[in-house]
Amino acid sequence: MTRILLIDDEPDILRVLSRSLATDGYTVACARSGTEGLAAFEAQRADIVVTDIKMPGMDGIEVLKHIKARDPDSEVVIITGHGDIDSAVEALQFGASDFINKPVRDEAMSIALKRAEDKIDIKRQLKEHTHDLEHKIETATRELRRRRNFLGRVIRSSNDGIVATDEHLGIVVFNPGAESIFGYPQEEVVHKRRLPELLPENMAASFLQAMTATDGRKDWPWTETELVSRTGERIPVRFSASILNERGQKLGAVAFIQDLREIKGLQLELVRSERLAAIGQTVAGLAHGIKNVLQGLKGGSYLVDVGITKSDSQKLQKGWDMIKRSIDRTSNLVMDLLSYSKEREPEYKECAPNEIAAEVCDLVRERAQQDRTEIVRDFDPAIGRVCMDPHTIHTALLNFVSNALDACLFDESAGKSWQVRVRTGAEPGQSIRFDVSDNGAGMSDEVQGKLFSSFFSTKGHRGTGLGLLVTRKLVEEHGGSIEVTSRRGEGTTFSMHLPVRTQARPNGPPRAGQTATAREFAAKEV
Amino acid sequence: MGNRVLVVDDDPDVRLFTTTVLEENGYEPLEAENGEDGLQMIRAEQPDLVILDVLMPRQSGIRLYRELKTHAELKNVKVLIVSGITQKAFLRSQQALTEFGAAPVPEPEFYLEKPVEADVLADHIKKAIG
Repeated sequence: MTRILLIDDEPDILRVLSRSLATDGYTVACARSGTEGLAAFEAQRADIVVTDIKMPGMDGIEVLKHIKARDPDSEVVIITGHGDIDSAVEALQFGASDFINKPVRDEAMSIALKRAEDKIDIKRQLKEHTHDLEHKIETATRELRRRRNFLGRVIRSSNDGIVATDEHLGIVVFNPGAESIFGYPQEEVVHKRRLPELLPENMAASFLQAMTATDGRKDWPWTETELVSRTGERIPVRFSASILNERGQKLGAVAFIQDLREIKGLQLELVRSERLAAIGQTVAGLAHGIKNVLQGLKGGSYLVDVGITKSDSQKLQKGWDMIKRSIDRTSNLVMDLLSYSKEREPEYKECAPNEIAAEVCDLVRERAQQDRTEIVRDFDPAIGRVCMDPHTIHTALLNFVSNALDACLFDESAGKSWQVRVRTGAEPGQSIRFDVSDNGAGMSDEVQGKLFSSFFSTKGHRGTGLGLLVTRKLVEEHGGSIEVTSRRGEGTTFSMHLPVRTQARPNGPPRAGQTATAREFAAKEV
Repeated sequence: MGNRVLVVDDDPDVRLFTTTVLEENGYEPLEAENGEDGLQMIRAEQPDLVILDVLMPRQSGIRLYRELKTHAELKNVKVLIVSGITQKAFLRSQQALTEFGAAPVPEPEFYLEKPVEADVLADHIKKAIG
């Protein structure tokens, strides 16, 4: 309910007005002088103060000033003498909401009060609105600041390098990840350099083009590439970028860069440590092979001893032969071990894979006949001369074919006609496939699982226990891969895929990624 | 005292060595290069001792040993295993086979690990059949 404070030095007017206002539903307080009025206002605030202007002591204008100073939101209506326009104007200047002429008519009073009430209302609403707005702005600002800090922190703490630019490709964000890749501190780059200056020529050009062309490139998907740091170091990275758009307007660009130096280092390390582990496991396998070789040496010397003691030249000869064979076996073992542990670059040169396959088949012909196993040649005549490492092809095929012959020899099933098939074929994508299949013993899952990782002999005195390891290493270095499919009692197929070099490059370095794919061997049941 | 000894080994050098040791010590050697031939020889020749390698193509020494030891008439044939595989590994393989449901077989009475010296081999043969 609206509270009204009436101030007038004439008690009659006070009485009449207060009664009439109370009838209109206002809560009314009265005061008979300006001083009394201010005291009453101080004791209890009124929404509207209605005061006479001419009063002894403190007049209405003074009251008005005090009230407004005390509470600017209170409305003050001034009652002026008839025709006292100057006072009315003065009152309005000091913030009175309205004035009424004496004698006060009820109608004029109610209009003035109504206007004062409306004003109060509007002020209240305005105040609420302003307050609300201020609150909203404060909340939004706080949230904005929080998000900005959060994003800033995300960008700073990212291990990946993040570089963002404005629409002219001027760098505006350059996080610590980017600092460590490029070798520039943020202060030397942000607002000082443009992204293209940090990129290789072709990439720089594609960014410039994307920014200027209307329907230019918008995305650079993840690719592996090399960037050059401040010190000239070539840094292997994964790189991706996007043009930032808002409603068709190019705002800038952002690039994400992953430093691959550590990963590449780890990959190399992994290859090395795997090799060391394989050598460790091989030593255990080797022990078995060495035991057999030692047995040959001891046996041979025993025969030589017997031959000498008894002047039996035949025993002497046999013992000596046995020693020589054991020496051969030792040398094979050592050579395999050496070639396995040695880093070797493939020696790419022009060669005919079919001819090499034929050589391998010729080499094992005698042994195959002895083992009653047929060698079937199935060569793709479309393969001519290509650029590959003939040593890799030869070693790998000889190893596969020997294994295949062993698999037939170890097959215990009766009345089978054993066969080893050597197949070559040109594959799409500049690669040659070699398959060596046998219908021998086949391998259990367990044996297949251990084929490349740890050598364990299933062959008694045969072999060095390093054949497949050496083969795998050569094939990896050639950027190729090996697959094995085998089923117990039915046979085994080794498939080797070797990429063809487009031109002979002496000591061509193995490209990144090749070793990784070559290491993924698939041993699966057919 | 028996003196017929069958040598079953796929490595011709080992056979040559073993048969020479046997001859030098007054035994009569017989030879087989795999388990299959070995079993036939045992049936046909009934040797007093079988000197057996474990890892061989076509039929392994393990299989021959198990066949002998579970055979009603042949289970008393004495066996000396000479192998590059340690005795521990051999016993473990036999336990595993038994666990998978194969008939249990007695542990080999005589076991030598390669490389074996001629006099040690001769001692063991003597211990086995005198």
